[in-house]
Amino acid sequence: MELLPQVILDGILIGGIYITIAIGFSLVFGVMHIIDFAVGEWIMLGAFLGYYLNGWTGLDPFALLPVVFVVFFGIGYLIQPAIQRVISGHRGNPLLMGLVFTFGIMLIIRGLGLTIFGFYSRSIPSKLAASSWLFEKGDFFLTVPFVRLAGLAFAVAITLVLHYMLKKTDFGTGVRALAQHKESAGLMGVDSHKTNCIIYGIYVGISAMTGVLVCTIFSMTPMEGGRYTVLAFFVVVLAGMGYLPGVPWAALFLGLIQSIFIVYLSASYTLLAVFVVLYIILLISPKGLFGRGW
Amino acid sequence: MKRMTWITLFLALSLVTAGAVGAEAPVFKIGVITSLSGGLATGGNVTKQGYEMWAKRVNDAGGIEINGKQYPVKLIYGDAQSEPSQAASAAERLAAQEKIDFALGPYSSGVTLAAAPVLEKYKIPMVTGSAESPLIWREKFKFTFGTIPPVNFTGSSALNVIATLDPPPKRAVVIGSNDAFSKATAETFRDTCEKLKIKVMKYDIVPSGQDLTPYMSAVRAMRPDVIAFGGHDEELIRLVKALRQIHYAPKALLMHYGVTEPAFIEALGKDAEQVYGASVWTPTLKTKGGLIWPDAQSYAADIKAAFGIVPDYTMAACSAAGLAFQAAVMQLGAAPPLDEAQKLALVDVLEKLDIHTFYGPIKFSHEGEFYHANTGLTPLAFRSRVARPLSSVRPTTRRHRRSTP
Repeated sequence: MELLPQVILDGILIGGIYITIAIGFSLVFGVMHIIDFAVGEWIMLGAFLGYYLNGWTGLDPFALLPVVFVVFFGIGYLIQPAIQRVISGHRGNPLLMGLVFTFGIMLIIRGLGLTIFGFYSRSIPSKLAASSWLFEKGDFFLTVPFVRLAGLAFAVAITLVLHYMLKKTDFGTGVRALAQHKESAGLMGVDSHKTNCIIYGIYVGISAMTGVLVCTIFSMTPMEGGRYTVLAFFVVVLAGMGYLPGVPWAALFLGLIQSIFIVYLSASYTLLAVFVVLYIILLISPKGLFGRGW
Repeated sequence: MKRMTWITLFLALSLVTAGAVGAEAPVFKIGVITSLSGGLATGGNVTKQGYEMWAKRVNDAGGIEINGKQYPVKLIYGDAQSEPSQAASAAERLAAQEKIDFALGPYSSGVTLAAAPVLEKYKIPMVTGSAESPLIWREKFKFTFGTIPPVNFTGSSALNVIATLDPPPKRAVVIGSNDAFSKATAETFRDTCEKLKIKVMKYDIVPSGQDLTPYMSAVRAMRPDVIAFGGHDEELIRLVKALRQIHYAPKALLMHYGVTEPAFIEALGKDAEQVYGASVWTPTLKTKGGLIWPDAQSYAADIKAAFGIVPDYTMAACSAAGLAFQAAVMQLGAAPPLDEAQKLALVDVLEKLDIHTFYGPIKFSHEGEFYHANTGLTPLAFRSRVARPLSSVRPTTRRHRRSTP
C-alpha cells in the first residue's frame, strides 16, 4: 500500500496530459459540431515547431508556448472557413462531411510531416524534464516529476481560461449561443463566421501547445499524431461529446484507471482495461460520465 | 487531312516510344518491402537508406557484372505501413505485378513474418537486413534469409557483460513490448538472467505506446539492479525519459535495438549514457570487405556523405543484404530477368554463401533454430557514451567488449 500515493499522483499527472490533448477537441465539437480527426496532427506540428524553436533560440519549451499558440491560432483561423464551407450549405450530413474533410487534412499533414521533418523521433530538452521532487522514508516514497507537474498546471490553466472565456465574457456568451442555436445566435447579432474562426484558432493553438508539452515529456515522430487523436476521442466521449466541463474529470478518471491498473493488476492489459471501462460507462450512460453530452 | 497528319504523327511517335522501351537494357528488379509509414517508419526508413546506398554504389559502378556484362539494379518499393497485412499485400503486388527477381526485406519481425509466406508462394528469394525475432527462422522459410542474427543469438551478450560488474547484479526486471521482436528480446533477457543467476523479479509484456511512468514507479520500489527492456526506438526513448523523470537509475539499464541509433542519442542527450545494448556491427569495427566497401569505416563515411548520419547496425545489415544478393547472383552467373529455376538456384547459392564484407562475414546457417540467419557474426556488447548531435554520434570503441552468445 505504500505505493498508493505514488500511483494516484501518477494517475493525476497522466490525466493532466489527457486534459490538454482533449479540451480543444471538445470545444470545437461543442461549438462547431466537428469531429476533427486532425487533432493529433496539430499536436504533432506544434511539437515540431517547439522542437525547432528550442533548437534555434535555446529557450525552454514552456517559454515557447505563447509563440506556438499564436502561430497555430493564425493557421486555425485561416483554415476554418474551408471546413465551414464543407459542413454547411446544401450538403447532407455535415457531421460526416466534417469528419471526412478533417481526415483528409490529417493525411496531408502526416505525409508532409514525414517528408519535411523526417522519420526520426524528436524530443525537446527542458531543465524541468530532468528535475523532480523526491520524498523517501523507509519503503515509502513519492516522486513528483516537475515536467509533468508543469503539464498539469498548464492543463488547469487552460481549463480555467476557457471556463472564464465562455462564462464571463461577451464573446463566450456568443460562443455558447452559437453552440445552442446557430440561427437564433445570428439573429441576436453573433457573427458566426468570425466566432467559428476564433474558436477553431483557439483549438488548433491549444493542440499545438499540447504538442510542445508532449514532446518534452515523451517524444514525437510525424507518424504519431494518430495516437493522440484516439486519446482525445476517448476522453471526449467519456466526458460527453461537446460537454467541456466534463473533460478534466474524464481525463483524470482515465489517467487514474491507467495508473492503478498498470501497477496493481496487469501491465499487459492496461489499454484493454481502459477500453472496457469506457464501454461499460457508455453502456450505462451513452451521453458520457455526466450524461450531458450529445 | 489535317487530322490524318496528327494521327500519323501520333502513331509514329508511339512506335518510336515503344521501340525505345523495348530496347531498355535489362535490370535486376528488386522489391523492397519495408515500413515507410506508420509506427515503425523510423526503422523502416533506416532500412531504406541502407538498401538505397547499396543500389546507388552498384549502379554508380555500372551494375552487377554477369559474364562480362553489367546489369544495373532497380529498387521497387512496397510500403508495409508498419502493418503485417500491408506487408503481405505489398509482397503480393511486387511478386505478381512487378515480377521482381529478388526481394530485400522489411523492418521488424512481425512484418517479415507476414511477407515471407507470400514470397515463398511465388518462389522469390528474399534477404532481410532487419528482422531479429527467432520466430522467423523457426518457420524455416526456404526463400528467406537474414543478415542480422536473431536476438536469441545476440541478445545475451550485453547481459554477460553486465553480470561481470562489481558488485554483480542480483535482481532484474524484464519488460517487452507486445510485438514479435520485442517479445523475443524480452524472453532472451529473461532466460539469460536466469542462466546468470540474476533473479527476475518482474516480467511483463506491455502494449506499445503507453505511458510506463506508473509502472516504473512500481519497479523503483523493488530496487532492481538491472532493468532490461525489449522494444523499438520510440519506446526506448519514452522509457529512459520516464526513468529520468522519476529520478531513478538502476545499476544497468539494458536495451537491445536502438541504442546505436543516432536518433536515440539525439533525443535523449546525456540520458542516453549508461544504457547498455547489443549489436553485431559498429562503424569502428575492424572488418575487411571484398565487394564495394573495403571496411566498416569506408561504409560509414559513404553513409555520412549521403545522409549526414552515422549508420547503425540495421542500416549496415541492409546494405549487406544487397551485397549478399550481389555476390550470390554473380556466383550463379544469371542475367536478369531471373526465371523460376534461376531463383531456386539462387537460393542454393545463398545457402552456401561465405563472404567477407564491410559488415563482417555473411554465412547463412542451413539447419537448426537459426536456419537461414547469418550466424557468422560476433555479438558485441557496449554502452552509449556521451550524447552527440545526429551527425557525429559514434559508439565508443573503448568500451566494446566481445562476448560469445
